Amino acid sequence: MKTLKFAFALLLCTIISACSSDDDANNPEDLSGQNGTLTLKFDNGVGDQDFIFGTNYNKSNNESYKVDNLKYIISNIRVKDSNGNTFMYPDENNAFIVDEADANNAGEIYITLNNIDAADYTEVTFGIGIDQERFALGAEGQGDFLELAEAKGMLWSWAAGYKFIRIDGTYSNNTVINEPLNIHMGSVGSSLDNYKEVTLSFPNTVRVRQDASPEIHIKSDISKVFDGTTTVNFADGYDQVHVDAVETPIIATNISGMFEVHHIHND
Amino acid sequence: MSILLFQFQNLNAHNNLEPCKNHNNHQFFCDLCGCETSSGSFGYGTLSNANFIGIRYIYQNFESKTGIFENSPKSKEAFNTYQLWAQIPITKTIYISANLPYQDLNRTFKGTTENISGLGDSSLIGWYKLNFYKKQDEKVVNFNGEKEASGHSLQFGLGVKLPTGEFEERLADNVNPGFQVGTGSFDGILSVGYNYGGNKIGINTLLSYYLKGENKNKYQFGNQFSYALNAYTAFSTDKVNIMPFVGVSGDVYNAIEQYGETLNDTDGDILNGSLGSEVAIKNFIFGASYTLPISQKLFGGNVESKQRFSVYVNFAL
Repeated sequence: MKTLKFAFALLLCTIISACSSDDDANNPEDLSGQNGTLTLKFDNGVGDQDFIFGTNYNKSNNESYKVDNLKYIISNIRVKDSNGNTFMYPDENNAFIVDEADANNAGEIYITLNNIDAADYTEVTFGIGIDQERFALGAEGQGDFLELAEAKGMLWSWAAGYKFIRIDGTYSNNTVINEPLNIHMGSVGSSLDNYKEVTLSFPNTVRVRQDASPEIHIKSDISKVFDGTTTVNFADGYDQVHVDAVETPIIATNISGMFEVHHIHND
Repeated sequence: MSILLFQFQNLNAHNNLEPCKNHNNHQFFCDLCGCETSSGSFGYGTLSNANFIGIRYIYQNFESKTGIFENSPKSKEAFNTYQLWAQIPITKTIYISANLPYQDLNRTFKGTTENISGLGDSSLIGWYKLNFYKKQDEKVVNFNGEKEASGHSLQFGLGVKLPTGEFEERLADNVNPGFQVGTGSFDGILSVGYNYGGNKIGINTLLSYYLKGENKNKYQFGNQFSYALNAYTAFSTDKVNIMPFVGVSGDVYNAIEQYGETLNDTDGDILNGSLGSEVAIKNFIFGASYTLPISQKLFGGNVESKQRFSVYVNFAL
């Protein structure tokens, strides 16, 4: 019977200790001087389907499209913490190209941000494309990004500027089959500003720490390029979108609505 | 008893416990393999509620989505669990059930199979058994003083699941298994069971509740409710006792919390149907059962349990 009592006492102790909380709410962590890495994982899809090169996707009005080139520029990434403070990633490194061709075997493209202040972040804001201020820095002021953009085919010429999104492929509808589809949308120098920003709040707190590198999984719905705020048809001229002053702002607005934070990982 | 406990603690102390990584939504495997194989929906003992020491093998397989889209590729998981399990009497009404699993888990994704194996999370439950007796005929004087058992009994269990399973950290390449042999947490177990054993049929029911503790990564698996109902019959000869059974069992999981926040798509439930038999020859009890899910929605539908198969050999004490 003694053994038994001992065993039960031990069981109880274990349960109680397992259930007791550490109550660190009373002892806020000291985060000063700490910084960590934050990763944005872009995952392109079409509606609820994963995006795959060469796959035929249906859109509105009996039109469909296949894509073999999909890239867009993300810049001016900043995160806001639970106290309302904003951490802006350093300007000189704050422009990226999300290229589906660079995706890993899970179809994700990573943007890795180093030296982020440790904090509990609640939302992210970023721009699609390059803003006028950065463009106004001139070719020399672009740093390494200009070379990258050229290599990735995301620049018309210095005067015309960057292509914010580039979709190349073919489209079909009731009258044509596999006609060329090219969406090259940008700001067109300084005459037309198509730079847009989006703010996405996180479903869970993103905890950046010296020893914790959270990941933000962003779903980009490519169908929104054509069936977004405005529905556009290839048959109406949206098969070739380049520098048009009417078409490009519509595509820019559609693209700004294609991002969603699906989930986050705190590791 | 104290030797057993000492051993568990020893194992615990030796393990560098780290919580589960949650890449690609696979964090829940910790819960499925680390805890479910020792949970009430699997049963803690034999049909006849006999005391025993034995070994059990459980095979389970799952399919799970590796991405966030409808057509994201699926990986296949096959879990092999080898358990040393026992029900040890302490007094006439008090016994202990213990369970020490070894996990051998495989995950196949795009033609590549990854394996993780090691000691799993063990559990230890103390039980109090309340037997019911037939009403005694007041007119007859009972000389021998023995009450006649009615066959009905209730059991009350209080136990712990220990984080004896080692976590193996794999880095974030994207075919990261993330499935682990243990949850890294101490969990409390509360159980109540009702048994009836008659001449021809018997019924076992068990309800269990798991209070999940937080592990070192501030990860807290959702509390879990498990239930099991088995009905069996018996065919006896002088030498062999054959007891086929059918049953239903299931688990209901609350959502996982991390840093005090609920994670989406981490709750779920599953209802299983089982068919099996025990064969008792002398002091040996051989058992086999096959389990198929009847309905399920695990982790937002991202994980699908396919089937479960178990065999065991117990030596009655």
